[in-house]
Amino acid sequence: MIYRKAMLLALAWLVVSAGLPASAGSAEEKVNYRLKWRFNTSVVGDVYADAHGYFEKEGIDVTVKPGGPERDAIRELELGYAQFGVASADQVIRALSKGARVRVLAQLFQVNPLQWIYRSAQPPITTLADLKGRVIGITFGGNDETIMKTILAKAGIPEGAVTLFSVRYDFTPFYRGKTDLWPVYRNSQGPILSRKLQAGGEAVSFFNPADFGVNFVANSVVTSEKMMAEQPDQVARFIRALLAAWRDALAPQNAEKALSTLAKYDPETPRDIQGEQLRITRGLVREDDGSVGRIDVAAWEQTEAIMMEQKLISAPVSVADALTLGK
Amino acid sequence: MLFRRIYQFLIIYFLGVLLLLALKVLLNLSNYVIPGPLSIWQVFVREFQRFLLHVLSTLGVAVIGQITSICLALAVGIIGRQATWFGTFVKVAAYNIQAYPIVAIAPIIFILLGDGFASRLLIAAMICYFPLLLSVMGIMSEPIDDIEHFYRVTGRMRWQLEVKIRAFENLQKLATVISGSATLAMAGTIVAEFIAADAGIGYSIRIALYQSDLAKVLVALFLIGITLSIYQGLLEWVGQWVKQRWASA
Amino acid sequence: MIGATASGGREEAQNGSIMGITCRDISYRYPGTEAFVFRDLSFEMAAPGFNALFGPSGVGKTSLARILCGDIQGYEGKVRLDGIDRLAYSYNLERLPGWSTVGRHLEKIVPASQRSLMAELVPVFGLESCMDQRFSQLSLGQKNRINLIRYLLQGFQLLILDESLANVDEMTRERIILHMKDLFPETYFIYISHNVVEVSRFCRDILVFRGPDKQPSAVVVQGQDLRSSDEIDTTAFERTMLEIMNAV
Repeated sequence: MIYRKAMLLALAWLVVSAGLPASAGSAEEKVNYRLKWRFNTSVVGDVYADAHGYFEKEGIDVTVKPGGPERDAIRELELGYAQFGVASADQVIRALSKGARVRVLAQLFQVNPLQWIYRSAQPPITTLADLKGRVIGITFGGNDETIMKTILAKAGIPEGAVTLFSVRYDFTPFYRGKTDLWPVYRNSQGPILSRKLQAGGEAVSFFNPADFGVNFVANSVVTSEKMMAEQPDQVARFIRALLAAWRDALAPQNAEKALSTLAKYDPETPRDIQGEQLRITRGLVREDDGSVGRIDVAAWEQTEAIMMEQKLISAPVSVADALTLGK
Repeated sequence: MLFRRIYQFLIIYFLGVLLLLALKVLLNLSNYVIPGPLSIWQVFVREFQRFLLHVLSTLGVAVIGQITSICLALAVGIIGRQATWFGTFVKVAAYNIQAYPIVAIAPIIFILLGDGFASRLLIAAMICYFPLLLSVMGIMSEPIDDIEHFYRVTGRMRWQLEVKIRAFENLQKLATVISGSATLAMAGTIVAEFIAADAGIGYSIRIALYQSDLAKVLVALFLIGITLSIYQGLLEWVGQWVKQRWASA
Repeated sequence: MIGATASGGREEAQNGSIMGITCRDISYRYPGTEAFVFRDLSFEMAAPGFNALFGPSGVGKTSLARILCGDIQGYEGKVRLDGIDRLAYSYNLERLPGWSTVGRHLEKIVPASQRSLMAELVPVFGLESCMDQRFSQLSLGQKNRINLIRYLLQGFQLLILDESLANVDEMTRERIILHMKDLFPETYFIYISHNVVEVSRFCRDILVFRGPDKQPSAVVVQGQDLRSSDEIDTTAFERTMLEIMNAV
């Protein structure tokens, strides 16, 4: 028994020491930047910065790490595995509600790419009331559920007036017409699905919640409160480099260079699709004056209010306090 | 035996949670990274009933899946023990199917069977049946010469008798493998629910992960572990009972 | 007679009314080995009754028994079985299935025509008390007797008994052998034993194995072939034992 205890203590010590951040990195300013998703067109500015030396110019050595469904940048910030990361607004708000000390540096998507695709042959959705009677795909537990339920509540549509269809990773039910609306990332899955349906002679449209006043913020760049306090200069240089890269990557005249960069990071996706994805991403991220990264405080507050309404958080978190404004 | 299983599970579980909490304290982590004991407890109280129903739904599928795979493994094992063309064909098919990762086959299963009960069942059975098959095939292709000799020389041997002799002689081994395969059936069902389905504890875990809610995951793991311990304990008990009954019929 | 075949020949003349076992120049090696277990073994067992294979362990008694039964192929020489088509090899490690009692098992495998014979044999074998028990609960000697009894009731013409009475006390063994000789006069028994007294007393043709280095590999010694009604001729009995010991 004593032996087992000793083993456990040793094990705990191992885990703890492995979990301790490699904080000695500040001398060379080596930092990790954890993305939300795998390398694809949605992260074009991030890989552009990595490929074209934007961070080096600011004197920081940044490793850009792809994300994925099991990755959570905010956890990694706290554990010291990453110094910067990309997280969705709902992640930030949930983390704040549980006491995480996280700060938002920039809001990458001005319009949430999470939208619903539907066949143009169907009656168009021009008012929210047009949703009545449709079969709507949602991922239970996902952000699309939160957004769709908010929309239905806003429009005063009782849940019985639509049919909610449980969505998983495979699109078959939509292809086979079992659902009318299917949630997609407008800029990544959107072009692929459109193309497939067009090949079958079907045109598609997208239902964008933001058009109806529901602004649920998507991906943003985050860091820890500790970084903000201890390395303000490094944080400033990082975000300056990153936003410059995003700006350049989305500038129409740099499209070819951006696509060549993407081809290196995401060789699986055909170039013409990436071209279309880039065009759409530009519309979601870049503002008319070419700037990027603006934090839309009203949208953040709306996101928090939605999450309160949907009981995803139990108390307000005053999200505005976590936003780093004035850029 | 049943109680030993349960308290052993509790020891392992609470040691694991303690380790997490120790990390939390040592590294000063927020509740977002590792939930505190209070929030775990609150989630436990709040979600217990709902999660328990989900675990039971999962267990139901796992049990049926396990029974299916036992039957399947017995059938394939019995046919596969013969050196006939069909015997080897069945064996090769069984091995090949096992070589494919479930996540790759899953979409085909969902297209064929939809995302309801049948798909969950099939995936659970597929994950659980192979170790069973190997054991059954091993047992069924190993002659018990000291018993079988008489039946052979007197021309009385039938395949049913052969199967009966080999099963009886290896009852302990079979019982161990079957109770062990319960874990796999449960894991298989959870995997199925995780990738598809809209019921069961795997589905709840997926949602908890969407919501970055580790407390829910911990509560779900607790319920899965305790349910599995009880189920396995019962299986062992049934195995013991069958053995006693058969040996004193 | 049936014509000789190539090496490893085996003949079973099933229509002949006269029974007999003849072996000519049998040699045998375990598969994949060079050394012979025995070489050029020739003998004849001309009439039913108790015959024996005798010799130290490892000289090939069991191999020869299995050659006679057709369980082993790949030997050299010729085996002839005249008028014998129902034959079996049985050995002392055999077990009965554990899921029913010994009595239930016997009921299942003993033909109806042999039931009265069984009722006669059970007390001779001293097995009355075993019928309600499981095989696993019996002593080694009881197990061997149960095994032997079930083989006896299958109507075999040739039955090879490989140490089938091991772990049975001497008195019971003698009683059993004498009864077997009385009740199955038309059956060939080939008795494999290490007990020189026993084979000398009860067996007729005793094939004594001498090991592969000696030529011939085995010789046949005439035993006393004692029956229940006979008195033993002590001198002749001692001579048989002496012959066996000299042969080995």
